[in-house]
Amino acid sequence: MERNFKIAGFGGQGVLLAGEVLANAFMLAGLNVTWYPSYGAEMRGGTVNCEIVMSDEEVSEVNKSDTDFVVALNQASFDKFLATIKKGGWMIANSSLIKEIKTRADINYLFAPISKLAEEVGNIKMANILALGLVAKASKLISIENLEKALDNVIPTHRKNLLPLNIKALKIGYEYDLLHV
Amino acid sequence: MATQVFKIPESLRDNVKYSFCPGCDHGVAVRLVAEVIDELGIRENSILVASIGCSVTTYDFLNVDSLEAPHGRALAEATGVKRAQPDKVVFTYQGDGDFASIGLAESMHSALRGEKLTAICINNTTYGMTGGQLGPTTLLGQVTTTSPTGRNLEYYGYPIKIAEHIALCDGTAFSARVSLDSVANIRKAKQAIKKAFEVQIHGLGFGFVEILSTCPTNWKMTPDKAHTRVREEMMPIFKPGIYKDITIN
Amino acid sequence: MPECLTNKKVLTKGNYAIANAAVLAGCQCYFGYPITPQSEIGEFMSGKMQELKRAYVSAESELAAINMVIGATSTGVKAMTSSSSCAVALMQEGLSYATADELPVVLVSVMRGGPGLGNIYPSQGDYFQATKGGGNGDYKLIVLAPSTVQECVDLTYKAFYLAHKYKNPTVLLADGLLGQMMEPVEFYDYPYPEIDNSKWALTGAKGRDGRIIRSYAPLADNQCVFLEKLFQKYKTIEENETEWEEINTEDADIVLVSFGSTSRNVKTAMKLLREKGLKVGFFRPITLFPFPTKRLAELSKTAKKFVTVEVNMGQMVNDVRLAVNGACPVELINKGVGAPPSAQEIVSRIEAL
Repeated sequence: MERNFKIAGFGGQGVLLAGEVLANAFMLAGLNVTWYPSYGAEMRGGTVNCEIVMSDEEVSEVNKSDTDFVVALNQASFDKFLATIKKGGWMIANSSLIKEIKTRADINYLFAPISKLAEEVGNIKMANILALGLVAKASKLISIENLEKALDNVIPTHRKNLLPLNIKALKIGYEYDLLHV
Repeated sequence: MATQVFKIPESLRDNVKYSFCPGCDHGVAVRLVAEVIDELGIRENSILVASIGCSVTTYDFLNVDSLEAPHGRALAEATGVKRAQPDKVVFTYQGDGDFASIGLAESMHSALRGEKLTAICINNTTYGMTGGQLGPTTLLGQVTTTSPTGRNLEYYGYPIKIAEHIALCDGTAFSARVSLDSVANIRKAKQAIKKAFEVQIHGLGFGFVEILSTCPTNWKMTPDKAHTRVREEMMPIFKPGIYKDITIN
Repeated sequence: MPECLTNKKVLTKGNYAIANAAVLAGCQCYFGYPITPQSEIGEFMSGKMQELKRAYVSAESELAAINMVIGATSTGVKAMTSSSSCAVALMQEGLSYATADELPVVLVSVMRGGPGLGNIYPSQGDYFQATKGGGNGDYKLIVLAPSTVQECVDLTYKAFYLAHKYKNPTVLLADGLLGQMMEPVEFYDYPYPEIDNSKWALTGAKGRDGRIIRSYAPLADNQCVFLEKLFQKYKTIEENETEWEEINTEDADIVLVSFGSTSRNVKTAMKLLREKGLKVGFFRPITLFPFPTKRLAELSKTAKKFVTVEVNMGQMVNDVRLAVNGACPVELINKGVGAPPSAQEIVSRIEAL
């Protein structure tokens, strides 16, 4: 089984880091995983994205043309990646910055006020990690425990004081009631 | 009882076929380097990086471990040698074309980094090995095979004053220009070469000596006339002297 | 960034994996000049080498960097540089000299788009640059092509080993995709024996005459003797070190040939085509020199067709054609630059052949 995730947003929203945490969590779950960032000219204009491909076999390609799960933290990313979502796939969108318009009937939408919830946790910069909680909940492919361990792996030693707050954001995301959707 | 007053330096190889042209100052310069290596007792601890040009055969004369660099890259290779073997005495022996034209970036940056290296540069105002073309040090008005009516500003611009430029680099510990046109100047040249090695050995920085030399073959002059040219035409432009010595100022 | 040696899997970028593996392989000196998409290698090295009291120089150019590696390796130590495409172009002179000097230079080449400045996206456009060379004279570089981040580690170790074993410059040929992607990897102790360099390295002429490492051979006869010796060495390398991966080739009508990051998609395409009932095999050269010519020639006796898949305008396809030597057709599926064609696209194009 192979599944891929696209996490996208403004530069500064911590998109690449969130992807690294997710990829780490899959690694900790004993799965094969590849993380691949957008870079270079693609990054200009303010959107950044990365792709995470997890598999219980060898991970083959990256830069796939279609996606199982898209996490869009801003409107530009929502617009750019909506069409790439596979039938039955998920659009997890930050409704604090994205208009709640559902134009596709063949995918699942999860609109959550990710930025606002992160602010309530205490830091809007936690939006990226909070989104991973939503990913865990919606995808059922990764446990919150592995995401917590992954955060510990990724957060550098001199920033470890931020770990509890990140875990809190992760849980708020995970506990977000999907019935809101 | 007889006293030996003159001998072949131990740092010169035996039975070497002499490959420089008759009357060329390279022979004197290489010998001075060998004498300095003897006097400092560093033959077994030195590594030479030779360059391209007439200077390439230096490793045939000096009996030290030697590496031959591509044209202009001697000081990059010397940097690599020294960084890998910081306890060794590492030096280059280059011509002006190698040091100050094709290799100017490598030369300047080695000096700027303050590499603990010694660089000896022969300035004979021409590319000798390829048959006497215009080089970075060719004097204004000088006729070469590629400046048939003499070096003019319109087509060629100015010659470079190497020792002055190297002295401006903050990592340079010692920079001097010497001449081999007289016995007195040969003695001064040897002192400068020795100093350029000593600043390396004491870890003070980059040591540099520019040696004004003759190229009788390409200048089409007798060795004696060639030395007169060094005195009368080169030395007024390329003034001998110590341009930097951090051990005294 | 990974710690130097860990006993567990870590998620890391190809560039960091290469740099960290080089440190673990015992690389004593790093010389480099920044260029995307491999700058992380120099960034990692700048910190790690200083921490370990090893040599690091921010070279003034790639010309200087490769020659610094020549200088360092002439003393017998493990040393490297890393660069990309248009900047590796500047190193061709040095690589030619290093083959002539028989020095264990290690170059990590992380390919990007070309020709000229091109762009920073992944590419395999420097297959020729690495395997045929842009330097002067008759010479070969040993070329290793990883396809995963773990292989970036494994083949970095191997690059240092082969370079020293054969006293020949060795290239780790990665690309922007491998350099920038993260995958879980395991680092381990350098698995190869240390090669004794004491017979030739420049270490100061203590109690002996000075050694000379040179490429200047003023007499034609001497140069002929040297070249014969050099090419005898390349023959030995071909016999001993040719490495490849092959899957489902035994009964294959079509053999897909691909190297590096592109081969990942090709492997998936092979599986998809098998599921459709087509007899398709997968062949991945791991050493690009020595190229697995012999094995491809054997396969050409049973296969009906070869298809190479490359992100360039068709470079390795020439070597496959030479190996197959007219026994069956050799087609090309390619894309000029960027991420490789998707598995699905490869499947469609194979079906359309």
